[in-house]
Amino acid sequence: MAYDDLRSFLATLEEEGQLLRITEQVRPEPDIAAAANAAGRIGENAPALWFDNVHGFTDARIAMNVHGSWANHALALGLPKNTAVKEQVAEFARRWDAFPVAPVRREDAPWRENTMDGEGIDLFELLPLFRLNDGDGGFYLDKAAVVSRDPQDPENFGKQNVGVYRIEVIGKDRLAFQPVPMHDIAQHLRMAEEKGEDLPVAITLGNDPVMPIVAGMPMAYDQSEYEMAGALRGEPMPLATAPATGLDVPRGSEVVIEGYFESRTRQIEGPFGEFTGNYSGGRRMPVVKVTRISYRTAPIFESLYLGMPWTECDYLVGPNTCVPLLKQLKAEFPEVQAVNAMYTHGLLVIISTKKRYGGFAKAVGMRAMTTPHGLGYVAQVILVDEDVDPFNLPQVMWALSSKVNPKDDVMIMPNLPVVELAPAASPAGIISKMIIDATTPVDPDRRGNFATPVKDLPETQEWIAKLQKLIAER
Amino acid sequence: MSATAPSICPRCAHERLTHLTTSPVAGAWDVFQCDRCLYTWRTTEPARRTQPDAYPAAFRLTAEDIENAIEMPAVPPLRA
Repeated sequence: MAYDDLRSFLATLEEEGQLLRITEQVRPEPDIAAAANAAGRIGENAPALWFDNVHGFTDARIAMNVHGSWANHALALGLPKNTAVKEQVAEFARRWDAFPVAPVRREDAPWRENTMDGEGIDLFELLPLFRLNDGDGGFYLDKAAVVSRDPQDPENFGKQNVGVYRIEVIGKDRLAFQPVPMHDIAQHLRMAEEKGEDLPVAITLGNDPVMPIVAGMPMAYDQSEYEMAGALRGEPMPLATAPATGLDVPRGSEVVIEGYFESRTRQIEGPFGEFTGNYSGGRRMPVVKVTRISYRTAPIFESLYLGMPWTECDYLVGPNTCVPLLKQLKAEFPEVQAVNAMYTHGLLVIISTKKRYGGFAKAVGMRAMTTPHGLGYVAQVILVDEDVDPFNLPQVMWALSSKVNPKDDVMIMPNLPVVELAPAASPAGIISKMIIDATTPVDPDRRGNFATPVKDLPETQEWIAKLQKLIAER
Repeated sequence: MSATAPSICPRCAHERLTHLTTSPVAGAWDVFQCDRCLYTWRTTEPARRTQPDAYPAAFRLTAEDIENAIEMPAVPPLRA
C-alpha cells in the first residue's frame, strides 16, 4: 500500500533501520546541513536523519536525507530496501505504463487544522529554517512540490504543474523563486506577466515520498504529475483543494503555503549551492507574496542537502530522469534497452541500444538530445551495445576503451541549448554537445576488428548461481 | 534581541539591516537581513558567514554587482 504522507513513510524508514534520530543538541548551522552532507559520504545505504533538539528552537522537527540512499529510494517506491538500482529503474518504468491514474479528492486534509493569514504570516515562526551551504544567500525551501496552473487554460488538469524549484525565504511572507526557463512554471509565469497579472501558486512542504519523485520528473507540459504519482503509487493520489488559490495540492502535505507571483517583479536572489555541484546566483528573480499558510499540528520540516554529488538530490532525480528518457526514446526506437541518466539530472546520459544498421546508435544519441528533457540537459551521450549494462560503469568504461575510435565515434555539435545552471555553458544557456558512440560498428559501417568477441561461457550463468549459493551457505 | 547585534552586512557591507526574527529560546540567536543584498544570517553561524572580515571574497557583493544583476527570467513585454 502506498504512503499518503511523510509521517507514515518516516515510520517505515524507522522500522527498516533507515531513519537515524539525532538526539544530542545540534546547532541550526552548520550542523544540520553538515550531517546531511555527511550522509552522502558514508555509502549507498545511508539513513534519513531526524532532528528535534536544535539550539534556540523549542518545537523543531526536521527531516533530512529522506530519499538519500538507494535503500530509501526503494522503500519510497514500496520495494524491498535491498532492491538493486537497475531493478528500481526497471520497476519504475513498468509502473509508468499505468499512467494516467486519476487522483482521488479527499477534502479532509490534516493541514486544515491550523492557519496563518494576513499580518499573522511568519515563515520564520512556523518553520525551523536554516542555511545549507556557506555561500548561500539565505535560508531555502528546496524540496517543496510547487503547484501552478496555465493562466490561458486554467481548467486543464494536465497542464496544472507540480515541480520542485529553489525558493529563498526573503521575508516573513516573501519568497524569491527560480523558475528555470526550461521548466513548466516559467511558461505559466510568462503568460501571466505578459498580461500584467499575478500568478497564484501553492508551495507544499513535507509530502509523501512519491510526490518529490514525480515533482522532479521531466514530464511533458500537459502530463499531470498527480496522475503519474498514481501510476507509481499503484493507487490514486489523494488531493485536496487549497483554500486561498483553489489549486489542487496533496492531502497529506505537512504545510501548504499559498500566495502569488507579483507580476513583473524581480529581486536579488542567491547564490545557492546547486545540484551541479556549483553555486549560481546574484541574479534578479521573481518574487512570491505569501497570503495564507495551512499546516498540520506539529508540522515536520523536510529539506534536502545538495552540493557536490552524490547527495540526496542525486538519488531523488536519478531514476526519475532515466525513465522518461527511456520511454521517449523507445517510443520511436524500440532497439533502446536501458538509459542511465543519473548524472547531474541527465547532463550526461548512457544509453544501451541494439543497432538497426550502421550509424544507428549515433542517431539515437541525437534523438536523446532533442527529447523535451534533452533540450535543456543532455549535453553528453555515451552509446553502448545492448549487452553492456549502462548502470555498470566498469562495463561502460570497457566499451569506451575498446570500441571507440575517436575520429569516427566522437561527434561534437556547437551552440546548443542547455539549462543556464550548467557550469560549463558559455554563455550561460549555450553549450556544445557530444556523442560518444561506444557501440560495435555494424554493416555498412565496416570499421575495426570486432568479428570475434570473447563471450561469457554458456555455463557461466549456472556457475554464478552456484557460487552465490555456496557463499551464502558458508 | 541579543547584545551582539551586527552593524553592517557581512556580504556587501551595507549599513541598513532588518531584524527578521529571534530565537524561541530567549537569547539564543537572532536572524538579520541586509536591506540591500538580502543576505540573511543567524548570529550563531560561523564567522565565515557572519563576520565581514572572514566572509569569503568569492561570495562578496558590491553595490555595482546588485545594480547590474540580470533578470532570470527576463520580464516579458506586455501584450495588448
